[in-house]
Amino acid sequence: MVKLENLSKIYQQDIVGLRNINLHIKPREFVSIVGQSGTGKSTLIKLLIAEERPTEGRITIGGWDITNIKRSQIPALRRQIGVVFQDFKLLPQKTVFENVAFAAQVCGESNRKIKRIVPSALRIVDLEDKADRYPRHLSGGEQQRVVIARSLIHRPKLLLADEPTGNLDSFNAQEIVDMLLRINDFGTTIILVTHNSEIVNSLKKRVITLDNGEIISDKKCGKYTL
Amino acid sequence: MFSSFFRIIKFAFQNFYRNFWLAIVTITILVVTLFSITALIILNVISTQAVKSIEDKIDISIYFKTEAEDIQIIKTRSELLSLKEVKEVNLIDREQAMVFFKERHKDDPTILESVEILKENPFNSVLVVKAKNSEYYPEILKVLDKEEYNQIIEKKDFSDHKIIINKISIIKTKIEKIGLFVIAFFALIAALIVFNTVRIAIYTHRSEIKIMKLVGASNWFIRAPFLVEEFFYAIISFLILIAVFYPAIDFLQPHLNYFLEYDFDLISYFKANFALIFGLEFLTIIIINALSSFVAMKKYLKA
Repeated sequence: MVKLENLSKIYQQDIVGLRNINLHIKPREFVSIVGQSGTGKSTLIKLLIAEERPTEGRITIGGWDITNIKRSQIPALRRQIGVVFQDFKLLPQKTVFENVAFAAQVCGESNRKIKRIVPSALRIVDLEDKADRYPRHLSGGEQQRVVIARSLIHRPKLLLADEPTGNLDSFNAQEIVDMLLRINDFGTTIILVTHNSEIVNSLKKRVITLDNGEIISDKKCGKYTL
Repeated sequence: MFSSFFRIIKFAFQNFYRNFWLAIVTITILVVTLFSITALIILNVISTQAVKSIEDKIDISIYFKTEAEDIQIIKTRSELLSLKEVKEVNLIDREQAMVFFKERHKDDPTILESVEILKENPFNSVLVVKAKNSEYYPEILKVLDKEEYNQIIEKKDFSDHKIIINKISIIKTKIEKIGLFVIAFFALIAALIVFNTVRIAIYTHRSEIKIMKLVGASNWFIRAPFLVEEFFYAIISFLILIAVFYPAIDFLQPHLNYFLEYDFDLISYFKANFALIFGLEFLTIIIINALSSFVAMKKYLKA
């Protein structure tokens, strides 16, 4: 699903984002990427959604070489990747339904299709009964579930979750992780970037550890070792 | 396709009312720019008409010596008429000159009496020449510089008219130059205001734009509402111009006739040239808006 070959991202003044990353994530895998702040986790996410371009190496997603992706092709790439960030990025003036529908509207989906796909996305995150509420009326965990529902609107084969539990208490954090596991069960590849050792250890899934922009460990059933 | 189109229109309206006062300022500046362009066109039309009206009144009189024979005068007239620069040549012979003089001074018995005292007709024959264009007069007069004409022509002069025409032409050119500067100034201000409006609209919608990019909205879909919004501004300012313009020239018309000393229908002129004048103005304002919007979007809407 994701193949990174000799991937490096060097910023100005020789600041290393990532250095010589070689990684292969198979379809339906659930991979946690861990590491301290500034080790290149978010840089990796930015490279995968083509927000930044690599200095060296190659990125392939679902067989598509996106290393030198054209600007006009970026929207097509992003429709195939769901993204969940730590800050919820919900629109406060829109209801839960409208927030999820917004992602479909701006990509040109018909109103009929939106009426069909939004409830099913909300059903996956158990928020069907709160479709008419505004984000301010939801808990942090619920807001993050709305973001997950929005990220699922295009039925992505790959879901990137960058610190999705960073702003949540342990109960809500576990709820989000359970949701990601459920989505993984449906066949979506998940890349979870996190600091939360408790979650990583409870997952018993593949763990990749980054340090100073390099992979220092890649274990099939790993633990948070930093 | 249609749903995307309606959504773009909807987002454009949202931009409009979320930054309502900014929209008002933008429209005001666009209206001022359109007015400055229209005012320059009016000034240009008026100055062209003024020059034309003065040129229509201009002619040159060629006064013949008393000894000039009729055959020589008729030959001179024929030669002048054969010139392509000449529009018409009228001959006023000595008798007609006397009749015109008496007619002109019919209310002044002293002058009439003094003419009666003279035994001979004191007036000489005159050729009144009108050129197709005032610029041709010096060329026409040059033809009459030949020796054969010098013997029979007493006086031919054009210098006073030339000074007036030159002065008007200089004023006309200056008005055009100042007008172009004023238009360029307002166009620049309008471009900067539109640029700023788009920049603020992008800032106001930064959350939506961030989400749009994240979920894969096309660059065109993200940009289109800002262009549509600027298109609204252009249409609204254009409609305001049309609504205010015709009453304004209706007010100007009588003053203009007084100034030009003959009837020139400015309203009819603008009605006849509506498509050309206002079409070009609309195109100008659309180009200003589109260019400013593109520059602002290129700067603030990176991938």
